[in-house]
Amino acid sequence: HQVDSHYCPSCLENMPSAEAKLKKNRCANCFDCPCCMHTLSTRATSIPDPLPDDPAKTTMKKAYYLACGFCRWTSRDVGMADKSVASGGWQEPENPHTQRINKLVEYYQQLAQKEKIERDRKKLVRRRNYMPLAFSQHTIHVVDKYGLGTRLQRQRPGAPISALAGLSLKEGEDQKEIKIEPADAVEEVEPLPEDYYTRPINLTEVTTLRQRLLQPDLQPICASQLYPRHKHLLIKRSLRCRVCEHNLSKPEFNPTSIKFKIQLVAVNYMPEVRIMSIPNLRYMKESQVLLTLTNPVENITHVTLLECEEGDPDNINSTAKVAVPPKELILAGKDAAAEYDELAEPQDFQDDPDVIAFRKANKVGVFIKVTPQKEEGEVTVSFKMKHDFKILTGLIRPSEESDHTSGVVWLTHHVELSLGPVLP
Amino acid sequence: MPLYEGLGSGGEKTAVVIDLGEAFTNDRVIADQQVGFITWKWQQCGYGEDLTKPSWMETSDSMGGFLWIHVVSLIASFSQICALVRCGFAGETGPRCIIPSEIKKPDVAKPVKVVQYNINTEELYSYLKEFIHMLYFRHLLVNPRDRRVVIIESVLCPSHFRDTLTRVLFKHFEVPSVLFAPGHLMSLLTLGINSAMVLDCGYAESLVLPIYEGIPILSCWGSLPLGGKAIHKELEYQLLEQCTVDTGLAKGQRLPSVMGSVPEEVVEDIKVRTCFVSDLQRGLKIQAAKFNIDGSTERPSPPPDVDYPLDGEKILHVVGPIRDSVVEILFEQDNEETSIATLILDSLIQCPIDTRKQLAENLVVIGGTAMLPGFLHRLMAEIRYLVEKPKYKEALATKTFRIHTPPAKPNCVAWLGGAIFGALQDILGSRSVSREYYSQTGRIPDWCCLNNPPLEMMFDVGKAPPPLMKRAFSTEK
Repeated sequence: HQVDSHYCPSCLENMPSAEAKLKKNRCANCFDCPCCMHTLSTRATSIPDPLPDDPAKTTMKKAYYLACGFCRWTSRDVGMADKSVASGGWQEPENPHTQRINKLVEYYQQLAQKEKIERDRKKLVRRRNYMPLAFSQHTIHVVDKYGLGTRLQRQRPGAPISALAGLSLKEGEDQKEIKIEPADAVEEVEPLPEDYYTRPINLTEVTTLRQRLLQPDLQPICASQLYPRHKHLLIKRSLRCRVCEHNLSKPEFNPTSIKFKIQLVAVNYMPEVRIMSIPNLRYMKESQVLLTLTNPVENITHVTLLECEEGDPDNINSTAKVAVPPKELILAGKDAAAEYDELAEPQDFQDDPDVIAFRKANKVGVFIKVTPQKEEGEVTVSFKMKHDFKILTGLIRPSEESDHTSGVVWLTHHVELSLGPVLP
Repeated sequence: MPLYEGLGSGGEKTAVVIDLGEAFTNDRVIADQQVGFITWKWQQCGYGEDLTKPSWMETSDSMGGFLWIHVVSLIASFSQICALVRCGFAGETGPRCIIPSEIKKPDVAKPVKVVQYNINTEELYSYLKEFIHMLYFRHLLVNPRDRRVVIIESVLCPSHFRDTLTRVLFKHFEVPSVLFAPGHLMSLLTLGINSAMVLDCGYAESLVLPIYEGIPILSCWGSLPLGGKAIHKELEYQLLEQCTVDTGLAKGQRLPSVMGSVPEEVVEDIKVRTCFVSDLQRGLKIQAAKFNIDGSTERPSPPPDVDYPLDGEKILHVVGPIRDSVVEILFEQDNEETSIATLILDSLIQCPIDTRKQLAENLVVIGGTAMLPGFLHRLMAEIRYLVEKPKYKEALATKTFRIHTPPAKPNCVAWLGGAIFGALQDILGSRSVSREYYSQTGRIPDWCCLNNPPLEMMFDVGKAPPPLMKRAFSTEK
């Protein structure tokens, strides 16, 4: 599976992936209610607003606020002022620790750079001929395994352990050192306020765990600090073959369309089996069931129905015996123009009237004999359908073997039909 | 799975960081305990190698053996873990989403917990596959094949789970590389310090691990199954015993008559919204009142009751005393005199003497349970109170304790550390297990090694299995 396209579920607007990454997979216009996760709608009110020129006169100006239709939460509950523009005015609160975290990342990146340089330098250390075996390549590898270094590189006893020896900033080495203050530990933690023990709680003011976790940065405890967040996007997925990287299923770009640009589904290439009519099924009485086989491809398909063998691993559900027509059936190809063209010659197949009920274009009706084996319950029959499948050249990689390009393969599928209950 | 752009050097996409909030169930450890020694997987992901002396064997027998027995009795009741998963992109300041680690199966009414350790591999594989699929395509919205993965995990995570997770990621999602990072170590990255005593109060257990100069001192770990789950259990018990429900029909009915058990989400919600941790004096009085058989000790006046709406019709009256007494189980000292505060002190005692002062002055508390109001203050007070007790007074010379405030909420600190580490792209690349390595060796190393030797080296080393005692120390790949 792969991500194909992003879109917002409420405004159904497609978003290019680069923009989605920038916006952290959130829609620009739509908001979620922080209380009930429903989509917020923008409502407008008119407020009197003094004109800039003449403070005495007031005109009605539109002000917008967000409201939830489900739980009646509004943006005014949190204290967000009404905005004068319908969309784009609402901001999400920022994480107060962003700066510190960015600094930390920069500091560690610098350390990482140093380690990388050290590592590269170690790799390129030239073999010194006058040094004893201790410096051979193998020894260095082995010694590197334990990270202690050879004797010459090891720490002197008494020196502070510095596993970050290569990584801590040495004085005067680099021009631009990013120094950060390591975090200070505090001696005292703030205790709970005195009235905490006696103050009654208003449960509507306290946020639930789910509401808090929706905003991982802030996780507010009071409902008065629950700010709405932009709505999360959804994606459309496309599917590729693992082996040959061929595109198997690719949806349309437009979020409102459910069709597919490419859809290689096996069902489109197999004859379709449908139940047309079922007579009354009685215990241990043989009755005829009418099935139709429809050919989806354009060339003639030969279908053979076979009974399941004893001990077939797929055959677990059948509760009735079935006798299928022994001969091979021929299905005509699907011809799109056939319905318009009345002068088309009906193809002449020698049809056994016992087996074939009717034939129409690419459809054929077939009788099978069913004998329910159980007194009560659902009648389920299963059999195998064997048909030939012509590999189209467009479906496979162009390969050197020419015999694969227009091969005909016989495929066998297990078919299970549920025919309804046994009548008494 | 961190993703950030602009910070990285070069065009490599930002990695994805997942923090599976699993807590160790100790199931695996119990099995090993039966064999007579403790083999446990520890990962080092840091800037140094573990230089701990091999005396952990002795200490674990004396202290750990004791600890195991305590844990065994409680393990039997634990079958599953509910956990929250934090996932997001490297370099960002917060995870993109925090979701419970469950998947919804269409035929089963209740969602299925993904993070379980005692189900067989196939089932776990399918659960993990579905869960990670949902993570990627519902929350992160990126292709798994493009981005490296950093997984934050507990040090005591069973290998079986790790292996299955790696298999899912590599075989099914075909991620380029995976890095398993211990949560305790990563939380130091958020502070910019090298040494700290890290206490992780999670759902199923609380785990303390000291880290000195970037190296986890693995022999001095400590764990207690006192976490969110224990609180939930106690709270449910108290609710069923003491509280009454107003239904539409009748008022003041006892809870067991209305519902046999309270669903865990409701219990969790009650805990999160109404419970708090009292300070030391008050807490000690509550404990004394609870254990006092002759009832002479009075408990302090309880906080007011809360009316909690169960659903449209029923209202549950949560009586006041429950609110502050439920959390006391974290600090009560049971028969072995262990509580969360003693975890820290015991671990400190085991650490080498030179390191103790620095560790004591750098405490870090992470995990969801630590977010209860009043928790940190109470923990510090307990530690200071316990240090004066005769048990610790001679053993510990240091008396000053300080605690850090990381730049994130306690339940996201480990994730944030992983995100910071994930933003270092070159280092991440060199320390991760790549897909080629995994497909060649078929397994993920149980610990990260600092210097990846070239592949030839790994096949040269004699493959005689080392004696189990040594396994924890040898850096065999």
